[in-house]
Amino acid sequence: MSGQIRLARHTPVSACQSLLEIEPLVVHRDDDLLVVMRQAAAQPETRLIGIVDEAGVLVGVLPIVRVAESVIGRVVPEALLSDIEDADDVARFGHAIEARTAGEAMIPPASISPEATIDEAFRLMHARQLSGLYVVDTNDRPTGYLDMLELAIRYVEAIEADSSPRPG
Amino acid sequence: MDQALALTALIFIVTYGLIATDRIDKTIAALLGGTAVVVVGIIDQEEAFGAIDLNVIFLLAGMMTLAAILRRTGFFQWLAIRSAKLAGGQPYRLLIVMSIVAAVLSAFLDNVTTVVLLAPVTLYLARVLRVSPVPFLVSQILASNIGGTATLIGDPPNILIGSAAGLGFLEFLVNMGPIALAILIVFILATRVLFARDMEVHDDVREAVLALDEREVLTDARLLRISLIVIGATIVGFLVATPLGLEAGTIALLGAAVLLLLSGLDVESVLREVEWPTLFFFVGLFMLVEAVVHVGIIDSLADALLDLTGGDPTVTTIGLLWLSGVASAIIDNIPYTATMIPVVQRMGAAGLPLEPLWWSLALGACLGGNATIVGASANVVVANMAGRAGHPIGFRAFLRYGLVVAVVSLVMSSVYLYGRYLI
Repeated sequence: MSGQIRLARHTPVSACQSLLEIEPLVVHRDDDLLVVMRQAAAQPETRLIGIVDEAGVLVGVLPIVRVAESVIGRVVPEALLSDIEDADDVARFGHAIEARTAGEAMIPPASISPEATIDEAFRLMHARQLSGLYVVDTNDRPTGYLDMLELAIRYVEAIEADSSPRPG
Repeated sequence: MDQALALTALIFIVTYGLIATDRIDKTIAALLGGTAVVVVGIIDQEEAFGAIDLNVIFLLAGMMTLAAILRRTGFFQWLAIRSAKLAGGQPYRLLIVMSIVAAVLSAFLDNVTTVVLLAPVTLYLARVLRVSPVPFLVSQILASNIGGTATLIGDPPNILIGSAAGLGFLEFLVNMGPIALAILIVFILATRVLFARDMEVHDDVREAVLALDEREVLTDARLLRISLIVIGATIVGFLVATPLGLEAGTIALLGAAVLLLLSGLDVESVLREVEWPTLFFFVGLFMLVEAVVHVGIIDSLADALLDLTGGDPTVTTIGLLWLSGVASAIIDNIPYTATMIPVVQRMGAAGLPLEPLWWSLALGACLGGNATIVGASANVVVANMAGRAGHPIGFRAFLRYGLVVAVVSLVMSSVYLYGRYLI
């Protein structure tokens, strides 16, 4: 592994989270999913919604595909029914058609501190199969958003820097 | 020999204890128990592997393959929506129609696959109705276990019994079909008492049901046609297998191979969906039970049961039915049946008429599973799935319905066994 790529792996999240200037989208757990869907549509670059409680603490996240599934499942459940093959699919479907608020549809929080490395951030995104993470302070309050594209861009820069002709 | 007997009994009790308490995965427990009896020298490998009933393993594997392909077509969801439309705007009628569908499908396909794939439409309709889906799901589970009783391939205990006793599909249909049908009819009538109070009639349902388009859930109409033809031919094959000198395992494997060929699907991806843990669970149990037979525990158990019943065919048959029913309500009916098969064989060798004993074991093992939430695989899987979908089915909530249905089923089975085989 070359020096540039090794260095890139240790880039702190804080240095990466603004590369694409994607704003966090934070809603409350009692917010209606239809309202949340409208907010998400107005801010399409944010693919992971953060859910907070009354104290502003991150209590869950909501991938945009889940919001869409919940809304679409109410109108054309056939679109979701056709893919069901096992008990996991049924549970997910049941969850999707039941949810009416952000809190009912959310999954456990996925967050990272600004001091963590982008290597750690990628591992978390990969493990949770998410396209982004919420950057939180020491009290778990969201302060920013890190998208997987921003990580990728940092690595692209490193690969390009590594393959460019060296002086001398 | 005494030492071998004590060691085998210990391995058997520990293994069954682990299976019953779910402390470790039941397949791992069965494989540990099955290999332990070889490692400590109670039986050798040849005896242990020779005890694995490949007819059972391949019958299960073949049927699992057929079901794995069929469920890719959206057939179950299609059938659920069609049934819901047939029921119109009546929630109670919907419950009955879906229960009948679950029972009929379960007679020919795996119970778990049937109830799991009927469940999403049930969940959706219950959401629209703004009623709890629990009564619908519970009635489908109960009907599925009743339907599975009717045929050789409907429930794993029947497969085990059929293979060990040399009883074919037709024998099961002729002997188990009538009582399963009678129990289903009584169950359907009883749903009015059991579930009607949970059914809130709501006008929205007709509109919601009619709005569903069942054609949208069919993912591959060609594959569906082929699957139904091959599964139908396989069932005909089961019916004619015995006269042709073939066993059900061969027919199921042939059906699976033909459907794999005609479907054009990737074999590896289909076979990945076969429930290998269940097949290895059977492998471990066969090995363990062989050791238990080898050291004479089964003979002693059979003799003790005969002493208890005085060797009277009626008392023994009805006693076995209720013993099996109670045992299957508490522990997995597969290891129970695997253990009781050699017991029944021993009773037959002692001079008791075998046929009523086989049907008694099959009815008790299949119908007893309805009593509790842990009594059958379908119960456990649906309860877990419903809980994750936000509708937990508690032990007591299930017991309220399941126990009544199981007891009535066993009473009816007692009368049937007595009237048909013991007079």
